[in-house]
Amino acid sequence: MKPILIIAEVMDGSIRPVTWELIAAARVIKELMKNNVGGKKDSLKIQVIVPAQNPLPLAKKILSRTGVDVLALQIPEDTAYTSEAYKNWLSPLVRVCDPSHILVAHTSQGRDFAPGLAVRLEAISLAGVNKICSDGDLLLYYRPVLNNTRNMVLGLESDLLVVLTLMPGIFFPRVSKVKSCGSITFKKICRWSGQPVRMVHQKILKQENNHQILKTAPIIVAAGRGIGERSNLEYVFRFAKCFLASAVAASRPLVDMGWIGYDHQVGITGASVAPRLYIACGISGSSQHLAGMKESDWVVSINKNFQAPICSNADLCIVADVLPFILAFLERE
Amino acid sequence: MKILVCIKQGLDDGKMSRFDEFALEEALALKDKLGKPGSLDVVVDVITAGPVHAVAVLKRAFGMGADRGIHIITRDIGYMPAFVTASNLAVVAGRQDYDLILTGIMSQDMMEGQTGPMLAEFLGMPCATAVVKSKMGTVPGIVRVEREMENGYKDCLDVHLPAVLTIQAGINIPRYPSLSKMLVAAKKSITTLVEEDLFSNPVSPKEFLVAIEYPDQTRAGQRLDGSLDDQVRQFQSFLQEKGLV
Ligand SMILES: Cc1cc2nc3c(=O)[nH]c(=O)nc-3n(C[C@H](O)[C@H](O)[C@H](O)COP(=O)(O)OP(=O)(O)OC[C@H]3O[C@@H](n4cnc5c(N)ncnc54)[C@H](O)[C@@H]3O)c2cc1C
Repeated sequence: MKPILIIAEVMDGSIRPVTWELIAAARVIKELMKNNVGGKKDSLKIQVIVPAQNPLPLAKKILSRTGVDVLALQIPEDTAYTSEAYKNWLSPLVRVCDPSHILVAHTSQGRDFAPGLAVRLEAISLAGVNKICSDGDLLLYYRPVLNNTRNMVLGLESDLLVVLTLMPGIFFPRVSKVKSCGSITFKKICRWSGQPVRMVHQKILKQENNHQILKTAPIIVAAGRGIGERSNLEYVFRFAKCFLASAVAASRPLVDMGWIGYDHQVGITGASVAPRLYIACGISGSSQHLAGMKESDWVVSINKNFQAPICSNADLCIVADVLPFILAFLERE
Repeated sequence: MKILVCIKQGLDDGKMSRFDEFALEEALALKDKLGKPGSLDVVVDVITAGPVHAVAVLKRAFGMGADRGIHIITRDIGYMPAFVTASNLAVVAGRQDYDLILTGIMSQDMMEGQTGPMLAEFLGMPCATAVVKSKMGTVPGIVRVEREMENGYKDCLDVHLPAVLTIQAGINIPRYPSLSKMLVAAKKSITTLVEEDLFSNPVSPKEFLVAIEYPDQTRAGQRLDGSLDDQVRQFQSFLQEKGLV
């Protein structure tokens, strides 16, 4: 049987937690393939490639936590992640391993190299997969489309290799006793591979932010594009003042347009918050936004469109034009 | 210098995909900065692969200041993933020597974010995605970019030209089409190609569409309709019930 291959996500020399989710997803695929019509009963292998300058400690950590095979891939000193380097390093290894699936995190890094790697390997590439199931015969892959309002369900034409980037926060690692049967293989990448280097990593910058205010506020009132105009932010602030110890947050487009500072941005590229109450005003509920607030105790949405994805992710959906609603609320306070 | 911007018409609203506006603005800003006014030493081409009516986004791009437009008219095969689009774009882009190719970070309808990196691989160019800053001209033949990562981190890198960059929202403020440019745009000619002419065998997706579904519900999603007064009252009792006031 062909193995399932996982590319561990390494940043700053350590394993990012999304890697555990990839391993959990590989187990889901393994189970589904075993139960499919004509599924082979012999065990499918899961293998993780962990590329790092010092990969052995990382490989040991993966093996002891999950029991799967790990390829510790030592990359040259003074090199760092670039899509070019990853494609060059990984494609020959993948060819040797001949997997059925390659699992990559749908993160800034995974999205950067996976599509090009797939093209180089003549593989199918599905981005942002958020659910995998089986119709008894075929594996089915779900991915968001149309501003997250729908999922597209896709099947594969043949036994071709497929590269999946998996949405973080979906596949939860089960905590179970590890039957350690896996092993660690070590491989070193030589610096000169014959290919010209056209991408040179310089440095990593950290944007200064003060997300602490958002992270500690028990109640968050968040504004999205649905508020219409910049000047309407004033009403959102007044609405927030009605709650004790509240803070105002925003979806990314408001920050991009310069209406409000980055300190206020919630989401995958902003702050992750978990208040008692999150009130989303004119926010559609994109996966990138939801990722930053889904741990809230209670979520209320004020949106004129009940079909917006925020409504499947809220406890209470007030179907209304947001400004008049806020004004009516202020009047009654 | 020749720049190509790949733009797409949204399946849902018929408008230019929001992220593509940032890509086009980035190209036009570069032209404003590096090119002599009125000259064609920096050329900005726009290309779209889509049905006949997708030409509307090229016209809008002319209104914003793009120089030339290319339209690949695609077959109606229902499911058109990035792999097919990138294959189409690669044939046309490969015939010209573009120094820089820009796309939006993803489209709002298909949300794959794969067209740029796939196109780059087809053309053998390096590719940086989620670019939130680009700077050219400091070192010849190199574009210095910042890629956005999670949690406020950014990756700075030097990319050799020719290269593909996918542009993230917030990098600039896209200009509105101007009336005068729109008038000129009406007279601009668009190079039209048909997908079937690009290949003896047009590229088809290797995966197939089974269904389109609503995403799973993660919370109760209790719906509150009625008059504003009712809604406010019920909202207040929700807050009280849950001990939130
Ligand atoms: C790599 C990447 C990272 C990203 N990171 C983030 C992130 O960290 N945070 C983030 O928020 N986004 C992020 N985004 C952007 C994200 O994809 C969405 O574009 C964004 O979240 C949408 O913001 P919105 O909900 O305010 O706007 P829209 O999606 O435009 O939604 C507006 C909503 O308002 C409603 N509405 C309109 N008018 C009214 C009215 N009068 N009254 C009531 N409701 C109304 C509409 O029905 C709609 O649901 C990221 C995108 C990418 C590609």
